[in-house]
Amino acid sequence: MRTVHTDVLIIGTGFGAAAPALRLAEAGAKVVMVEKGPQVQTADFRQTSDPQYLLKYIKGTPGDHLSLTYAEALGGGSGFYEMVSLRAPSLVFDQVDAQGRRLWPRGLDRRVLDPYYDVAERMLHVSQIPLAEVPRTGLVFARLMKNLGYSVDRARYAVRGCQGSGFCVTGCIYGAKQSLFLNYLPQAVAAGAEIETDLEALSIESLPGVHRGRARLLANLPYRYQVLCRRRAGEREQVRFVARLVVLGAGTVGSATLLLRSRATLPLSSEHVGRNIAYNGSVKVAGLLPDSFPDADMFTGRSHPGMISYEFLESHGITVHGVKALPLMLVSAARMSLGDERRDPAWWGEPNVELMGQMRRRMIVLAAFGLTPPGASLAVSGAEETRVSLPLTSGLELYHEDTKRLLESILVRNDCRLVRTDFLDKSLAPEAGVHFSTAHQVGSCRMADAQSAGVVNANGEVFGCPGLYVSDGACIPSSLAVNTSLTILANAERIAAGMLDQYGLRRPVAA
Amino acid sequence: MPTISRRQALRQLGLVAAGLTAACTPMRVLVSAYPQAFDDDDGLVDRVLRAFVTAVIPGAPADDPDLVRAHTDPAYPFAQYAGFFAADLSRRAARRCDGRAFERLEVRERTAVIAEGLAADATTRKLYNGAIVLAQIAFYAGIYDPQKGCPAIGFEGGNHWHSLQDITYPDPERFLSRARTADGNYA
Repeated sequence: MRTVHTDVLIIGTGFGAAAPALRLAEAGAKVVMVEKGPQVQTADFRQTSDPQYLLKYIKGTPGDHLSLTYAEALGGGSGFYEMVSLRAPSLVFDQVDAQGRRLWPRGLDRRVLDPYYDVAERMLHVSQIPLAEVPRTGLVFARLMKNLGYSVDRARYAVRGCQGSGFCVTGCIYGAKQSLFLNYLPQAVAAGAEIETDLEALSIESLPGVHRGRARLLANLPYRYQVLCRRRAGEREQVRFVARLVVLGAGTVGSATLLLRSRATLPLSSEHVGRNIAYNGSVKVAGLLPDSFPDADMFTGRSHPGMISYEFLESHGITVHGVKALPLMLVSAARMSLGDERRDPAWWGEPNVELMGQMRRRMIVLAAFGLTPPGASLAVSGAEETRVSLPLTSGLELYHEDTKRLLESILVRNDCRLVRTDFLDKSLAPEAGVHFSTAHQVGSCRMADAQSAGVVNANGEVFGCPGLYVSDGACIPSSLAVNTSLTILANAERIAAGMLDQYGLRRPVAA
Repeated sequence: MPTISRRQALRQLGLVAAGLTAACTPMRVLVSAYPQAFDDDDGLVDRVLRAFVTAVIPGAPADDPDLVRAHTDPAYPFAQYAGFFAADLSRRAARRCDGRAFERLEVRERTAVIAEGLAADATTRKLYNGAIVLAQIAFYAGIYDPQKGCPAIGFEGGNHWHSLQDITYPDPERFLSRARTADGNYA
């Protein structure tokens, strides 16, 4: 087995991993990143609906009442996200748990994160979509809201030179979408970081001396952790990394799964690992536009249609979006039929063909992202199967019902015909009851003021494990009501800045 | 197209049945009703599946080489059940329609046969449900031909460039109501 010694081992290459890698490498630390997924670059992407292509990179965690989607590839989800890059509204940071305790650590709020949002936005070239580029579906969504006197805002994206092909989620073949392998990761490599792909971290073990007193300088720290990794291709080579610091940036599912599998070899005392997952309670409805509306376009233009409404954020805790999606995503997500369809069968055969014929131009889909509480948990079985479980409380059922009703009322009051959507499980059968699906999962190793409430402190350091950090979505303690990537990145920048301070590292003046 | 011998079928069914409850009626029905013809005639499953997909998606081109490819593609779990599924369609068709073959029925009759499968026991229902959704996914998403997409719904597939005129509307201001933020970020 090969053994590699490094100052810092970073597990993952996504939004939570990239910022610490770049900042620590810039400061002169020896940094190695390991990525479970394959190497991927712009030239590898295809504009296709072939599920086999997507399944190479896109993974899912099924579960009761909730299913999670994420990516395993160089850059994590950044290759396949919709590039929506919004700051979490201030009220997000004031959320409290059932006992009235603040979910976010004391003193951590939007004002504190804003300077790091600034850095993240500069790195990803985030800007508000020009009005002249808003896709037709976004404009039709805006008209729906305008007719009812509701506000809409142009959203913000990490993109330069968008071609509007509509295939953001299969990877941008133009290199316009700002995936991390276009910015953070190559800059980290230029600063000396090494990246190994197709290498899965299996376990983390603390070495003797992990509890020794805190050294001020990184160079004086003992090697505190060893991480066993296995190559996922070829001869399944095993590699042992020995590191002074370990940063988990493998995502909400990946980081928690790794910690849960390392319980026997780490002095983990928190009971919160894998729990408290928040998921932006996503509720979706669909309808057909009345004749008085111009055509939308489900397929053309960037994957997110450009507009967001904050109208109901303070009153209902939700943001409302129009949705664009490729046929693969729509048809595999739900079976659809017109709500007032009298013919039977309605979801296949002639009635469904007629409905699908209207999908591109006349169908409008609305989604709400909500401040649902962090109530889901991961369970890791011995067979390496990870599942997620969301206890369905009456409050959650009420949220789903109220939100659905509100979205439907937006459609109905605009004279849209409602489309019935029965969401499908992994076996393509309809989900029973309320089910949320999301790619916005956070919180499985959440930040907290004390280990009685979370897994890591406000600096991202795991309680009881000095030098072991979680810097990705796993440490974000609440739903955000907006897409999560920018907040994960900004918070990772903040954690990286704290590490530089803590270990006497400074960015080069020239940087 | 891969076919499954009766022996393989029984072995697979045995594995599946092991995970089911003791009262496994649908599995017994499938085993006892699995006609020899589905082992002997390579084209039979294909013909039955084409008749199935064109009933699920009326208007889908019956001669499209990719029409039933997903149902027999080893990349998807349904492939191992394709033969049984075709056999079950044939058995139900013969019983409902005076012994006539499923693939020779009118769309209306095939629809009734499929509806019967969807109303059967839980295992059969799952099989039929999966077969329908798989047909819809493969057809509407054009999963085997990224260039073609699905003309029936105006999906062009990949690599079709559109000008800004195609993507948006002129005078977009007329669609907008007031904004709540200066730059898209809520304070």
